Amino acid sequence: MKKFIRSFSAVTLAAFTLNAAPVLHAEDTVKVGILHSLSGTMAISETSLRDILLYTFDEINKSGGVMGKKIEPVIVDGASNWPLFAEKAKQLLEEDKVACVFGCWTSVSRKSVLPVFEKDNGLLFYPVQYEGEELSKNIFYTAEAVNQQATPAVDYLLAQGKKKFYLIGTDYVYPQTTNLILFKYLQLHGVPVENIGGGLRKDDSGKVISAGKYTPFGHTDYQQIVSDIKEFAASGDACVINTINGDSNVPFFKEIAAAGLTPASCPVVSFSLAEDELRALPTKDLVGELGCWTYFMSLKSPENKSFLAKWNDWLKTENYPGVVKEKRAVDSPMVLSYDGVYLWKKAVEKAGSFDVDKVRTALESGEINFAGPGGKTTMQANHHTVKNVYIGSTLANGQFKILKTFPEVKGEPFLLKGLDEQLEKKTAAN
Amino acid sequence: MCKGGGANLRSLFHATMLKTKLAALLLFCSFVCGAVASDETVTRQKLVQAILSSGDEQQKLLSELADDNSKIVHDTLLSWTRDEIYLCETANGGAKIPVLLEEQQDAEGKARAIRIDDGKYLADEKGAELHFDSSDLNTLDTDMRLRSAVQQTLDLLALADPNRDARRDVVQKLGKSQKKQYLPVLQARLGKETDAGVKKAIFVAVATINLGDADPSAKIAAINQLAKLNSIGSLDDLQRAANSQNADVAKSAEAAIKSINGYLSAVNFFGTIFRGISLGSILLVVALGLAITFGLMGIINMAHGEMIAIGAYTCYFVESVFGTGFTFRIVMPFSIGGHAPGFGATIPGLHASGWFYETYFLFAIPLSFVMAALAGLALERTVIQFLYRRPLESLLATWGVSLILQQCFRLVFGANNVQVNSPRWLLGNFTLNDVILGYNRLFVIAFAVLIVIGTWLLLTKTPLGLLIRAVMQNRNMAACMGVRTARVNMLTFAFGSGLAGLAGAFLSQIGNVGPSLGQSYIVDSFMTVVVGGVGNIVGCIYSALGIGTADQVLQQVFGSPVVGKITVLICIILFLQWKPSGLFAARSRSLEG
Repeated sequence: MKKFIRSFSAVTLAAFTLNAAPVLHAEDTVKVGILHSLSGTMAISETSLRDILLYTFDEINKSGGVMGKKIEPVIVDGASNWPLFAEKAKQLLEEDKVACVFGCWTSVSRKSVLPVFEKDNGLLFYPVQYEGEELSKNIFYTAEAVNQQATPAVDYLLAQGKKKFYLIGTDYVYPQTTNLILFKYLQLHGVPVENIGGGLRKDDSGKVISAGKYTPFGHTDYQQIVSDIKEFAASGDACVINTINGDSNVPFFKEIAAAGLTPASCPVVSFSLAEDELRALPTKDLVGELGCWTYFMSLKSPENKSFLAKWNDWLKTENYPGVVKEKRAVDSPMVLSYDGVYLWKKAVEKAGSFDVDKVRTALESGEINFAGPGGKTTMQANHHTVKNVYIGSTLANGQFKILKTFPEVKGEPFLLKGLDEQLEKKTAAN
Repeated sequence: MCKGGGANLRSLFHATMLKTKLAALLLFCSFVCGAVASDETVTRQKLVQAILSSGDEQQKLLSELADDNSKIVHDTLLSWTRDEIYLCETANGGAKIPVLLEEQQDAEGKARAIRIDDGKYLADEKGAELHFDSSDLNTLDTDMRLRSAVQQTLDLLALADPNRDARRDVVQKLGKSQKKQYLPVLQARLGKETDAGVKKAIFVAVATINLGDADPSAKIAAINQLAKLNSIGSLDDLQRAANSQNADVAKSAEAAIKSINGYLSAVNFFGTIFRGISLGSILLVVALGLAITFGLMGIINMAHGEMIAIGAYTCYFVESVFGTGFTFRIVMPFSIGGHAPGFGATIPGLHASGWFYETYFLFAIPLSFVMAALAGLALERTVIQFLYRRPLESLLATWGVSLILQQCFRLVFGANNVQVNSPRWLLGNFTLNDVILGYNRLFVIAFAVLIVIGTWLLLTKTPLGLLIRAVMQNRNMAACMGVRTARVNMLTFAFGSGLAGLAGAFLSQIGNVGPSLGQSYIVDSFMTVVVGGVGNIVGCIYSALGIGTADQVLQQVFGSPVVGKITVLICIILFLQWKPSGLFAARSRSLEG
């Protein structure tokens, strides 16, 4: 047995050396990190981002690479384990010495790698809608900020004549922060506090610290909450702002349908349901409900059509292990990853160097833009992008029908402070 | 039509009285048909005019359409508000033809275009039907003003809608607008309305419009009317009235709010009881199988949750077969000679639609029982039969089986949750005095009652039930009496697993179907069985209903689902400290040792 183990490890060692061998021609390549969870709970979502990044690198390499150098991906697995994310980030920056990293999905994973990137002066592109209130000199957020998703959706609903808003979400940082921002934003737009449903939580001084109704991850029984919503919506002109994440959306929407709340009488706008998530939901129950993203697969632009065609061709020919080929959907986080790579490429070319400080200066110049599948994306000095925001309604086939476009919305991470000041001014004026 | 009429005219001259009468009837019919046909052409022309015109003329045409209560007007205007009317430019002349796209799409996602002016398919010069991709066509431009005009026309049309929910929604909407111009329309509808719910909505709407009246006495009358109607939806309007300058109005509005709030708490009370019973029924359905395998047989079966998942996946499978078909392919995670070995199967779908598709669930229920029972049978024969006297080993072994089964689900059905669309008859609700009774919830209650009755009949009225009870009470004695205990064990375990499968079939209608479905219910199942008293099925019923109701009541009291659940769990811990053997202590001999 011992002999077997020894010979086995010898074989595996040999295999590893063989694998590592072709990597060593460093002159004509540049290393770029991919830091996503490829196992664990988040793997379902994050594996898609690995796939789209591999596709983007292939596309760039085929057209000559970045400043003549081919991109060489270094893929590490964060395994849905937040401390591990920090370790893997350290490995990418200190051992592999990558020029740039694309990665992270959950806010907690981003918060976990942030100190590592700041210490080692790395560069991270973050592609998933998030709650804002953060700005690191080492992170560029191609993601939707709250004012590129939540507030445009509210603007749309207000324009549709909605007067009552029920806030519901999963109990963690993104829904809590977003709902608190919306609570203030709605008041600023003339919605009285009693017309914002879901309940409030105040601290000792009477300041509202949490607005809306929250359920834990994986919650299944929404009877009581939906009957609360039904009562809230009885007087008409009501809508629901839904930041529930993951699985719980299924029992929630089934209950909404059973209670007779239709999109015509009380629409639900969801911020965590994109095309990829809709593949696992009973879309027939969701027809007509709203979504808000900076990219929809159903966009009719020629850029999007050619992007989708090339992506599907790549899927057919690519043999990278673990890339699922059937029934693939493309959604906003994937496209924002794709945009991120091109923004980085253009910044490197402008800076004429892979040096992080020079690339950052180029990105912050406000001149780096890319006409991606979702429309033109421009990086701003505040590390967030300017891009189009779309409101869509769900169709039975799991796609969105685009109802409204807000062109060139500037991403702004810090909203709470400004809203507080504006609210104070408003109350003082009254 | 004209030709037909001509023939009838000729026959008039040469016929007997009877024949004349018949011919006259025919003639009349053809006139009516002709009139209808030409009416439709006129309507269609009007619609096209309205679509292609602009400004005030368009508004005028739209208001004229409100008098025309035909399906075509309704459908076209509805498509208009949804931006589903497209303008096709013809090659010759460049005239714009408004069209709708057919729902049925071909393989390339293209559909035939239906002309609004004559209802025929748009064709080229040679008469061949044209196919379009919706993204290649121009939608009609609609601004906010036009949209609201179209919507208003639709609202007036909707007052005569055959669907009572649609009528009620629109009545509510007209009332909320507080525009006096709608009063005559609503009053006219009241005379024709037969549905009690819609009638109430009309009374509320009329009172709401009157609430906007400047005269205080009219206001007070409207407030009293709303209080009498117990209109929950009017609370906001009444609150506004309560803040009014006029003291009398404010006073009566406050009284009205108080009375409606009293009604509301009664509604909430009964609603909570109903929701508690429905949650209890779910717990009962989920735990009943376990009450047999764990309670009666004494096996700690950690794979019980996966039996539930088998039932849910069976439901998904049946739905797929009724729909587009089912395909799976398992690929090995290693490769031999450049490609990974694997196997798979494809079952073609029936592509059923309409009522036939809606019946899939009726087939899925018995099949999920059978599938889970077969899985239970296999589990009993391969693992559990060797572990009857060793509960701790059976705990570990069944936990292992549960992990294996979860991975199998991932391989066959994918790691993502799968979509299960509910049949239409399970959606919707039945509202009794503002208490919402969802059809799916009523269904689970009935389902639980049926399963409990079935289990009771099986255990007490059949020879198999007698043998089951005998073996569970004293296995050795039963064996001495000539009972084939191994066979009875096997059948009992299969039956318990089958019940879990039934639970899964139902759970697929209200929640997620995924590999970890079973994990979310296993704790609840054990909790229900333990609280009820191990080995006692009646106890299981009481504990399920008790936990369900307590959970909903506490959620209502604390206003938070998490605090409610925590309180229930704390209560259960305290209860078990007091009565460790549960609500109903089992007195079977098998557990005495």
